[in-house]
Amino acid sequence: MKKLIHLTINDQSFEVAVEPNQTLVDLLRYQLGLTGTKKGCEMGDCGSCTVILDGKAVNSCLVLAIQADGRNIQTIEGLETAEGLHPVQEAFVEKGAIQCGFCSSGMILSAKNLLDQTPNPSDTQIRRALSGNLCRCTGYQKIIEAVQSAKTI
Amino acid sequence: MLLPKFDFHEPKTVNEACQILAEYGAKARILAGGTDLMVNMKKKILSPQQLVSISRIPELKNLEASADHIRIGACFTVADLCESDAIQRHLSALAEGAKNLGTPLIRNLATIGGNIGSARPAADLPPPLMAYGAQAVLSSLSGERTVPLDQFFLGPGFTAMKPDEILTEIQVPALPASSGAGYINIGVRKAQDCNLVNVASFIALDAGGIIQNARIVMGCVGPIPLRARSAEKILIGQKPDTALFTRAGAAAGSDSTPIDDFRGTAAYKKDMVGVLTRRTLDIAFHKATHRQ
Ligand SMILES: Cc1cc2nc3c(=O)[nH]c(=O)nc-3n(C[C@H](O)[C@H](O)[C@H](O)COP(=O)(O)OP(=O)(O)OC[C@H]3O[C@@H](n4cnc5c(N)ncnc54)[C@H](O)[C@@H]3O)c2cc1C
Ligand code: FES
Ligand code: FES
Repeated sequence: MKKLIHLTINDQSFEVAVEPNQTLVDLLRYQLGLTGTKKGCEMGDCGSCTVILDGKAVNSCLVLAIQADGRNIQTIEGLETAEGLHPVQEAFVEKGAIQCGFCSSGMILSAKNLLDQTPNPSDTQIRRALSGNLCRCTGYQKIIEAVQSAKTI
Repeated sequence: MLLPKFDFHEPKTVNEACQILAEYGAKARILAGGTDLMVNMKKKILSPQQLVSISRIPELKNLEASADHIRIGACFTVADLCESDAIQRHLSALAEGAKNLGTPLIRNLATIGGNIGSARPAADLPPPLMAYGAQAVLSSLSGERTVPLDQFFLGPGFTAMKPDEILTEIQVPALPASSGAGYINIGVRKAQDCNLVNVASFIALDAGGIIQNARIVMGCVGPIPLRARSAEKILIGQKPDTALFTRAGAAAGSDSTPIDDFRGTAAYKKDMVGVLTRRTLDIAFHKATHRQ
């Protein structure tokens, strides 16, 4: 039976009816049209479904939509402001850290989550923070460089 | 990938959760961080009809360090374990296990209770917890009972918990003065990898520097995390040194019962048990002699 939930996504309030067995990533993509969040493995391995849930980056394929009731979610769509792209997004473009782009939403959110908590991370901290996000195009070095350059902004 | 259908419950207190479990018994499953259960449900290995989420029960998220115990709530996340000063200070081997579990995204969801409840032979937290002599506190409508983690695991995915019980907290007894523990896990890769072998060692020294108590726990080399009993016997009553730790390592290797699989051969895993036992004993000895 569907249940009504209330949640905040990218600073906007939503009221939606969800099935108990619906995942958060499916709610975002199929019901709300927020397709910036990707689905790769659906098993917690790849990180392409990364969202920031109450300030913490998580795999949205392992969270039920119903568990997000009353909670605050940030997706890739919420990073751009009137002033333009988020500094991490800008850095990914500048440093050529995007190839096919499938991993980029997740990579950028994991990087943003790191920089929010640790404004000046070491190389090891950056690599550790991105270790749950796989890039099938294997452009890891440029991704690390992008985060390094974003931290200095 | 579709999840099987189920009814969803979100109790606000432990008592309410126990009532739901009492009503549905084996048809119900507890959902904590979901990083194990969601995967098993997507693969259709498990299809519980009733899912009882315990993430909105505030009392399960507490951490309490008193003179005689450290009590960790079942819903304390692995990320919280990594960041907690109290865990780092008192239970550094557990902090080490937490830092090596999964990925940052997984650690933000995964709970200590789920790591124990899933009863995977390769899990990162049971060896350090068992080395510290931890106990699981289980609650049901008929009351509360305490089970030493040593007796908690029965086989892969099987534990001493009854279907109507909920694991509410992990209790670790306060450590004696000159004691310490170490934990090391190795895998095929450095991040996001199922362990090949993981070992935790604990030693306590008496005033004369003699080993009074020792616990060595080996993961991935049996259906449950195993104590290396003959290695522990070699250590107790002796003065710690490298030769002794090497002998204990060799004994631990013989105590282990690994299988050949794609991660490595049984012979290699036995050898690695020996190496990790020696190294974790070195760490434990260093902690025991340098801890304030
Ligand atoms: C990509 C990936 C990587 C991983 N890497 C690792 C790793 O390196 N090391 C490792 O050890 N694990 C790893 N895991 C497994 C998993 O993340 C951990 O075991 C985690 O700690 C499980 O906790 P959870 O809260 O998500 O459990 P859940 O999935 O919510 O629950 C797991 C099981 O325990 C039961 N349970 C949970 N809480 C309780 C409770 N309080 N009382 C009674 N029963 C309970 C549930 O019913 C279920 O059967 C990984 C998983 C994924 C998807
Ligand atoms: S789709 Fe969620 S981790 Fe791969
Ligand atoms: S850019 Fe293609 S997966 Fe990373």
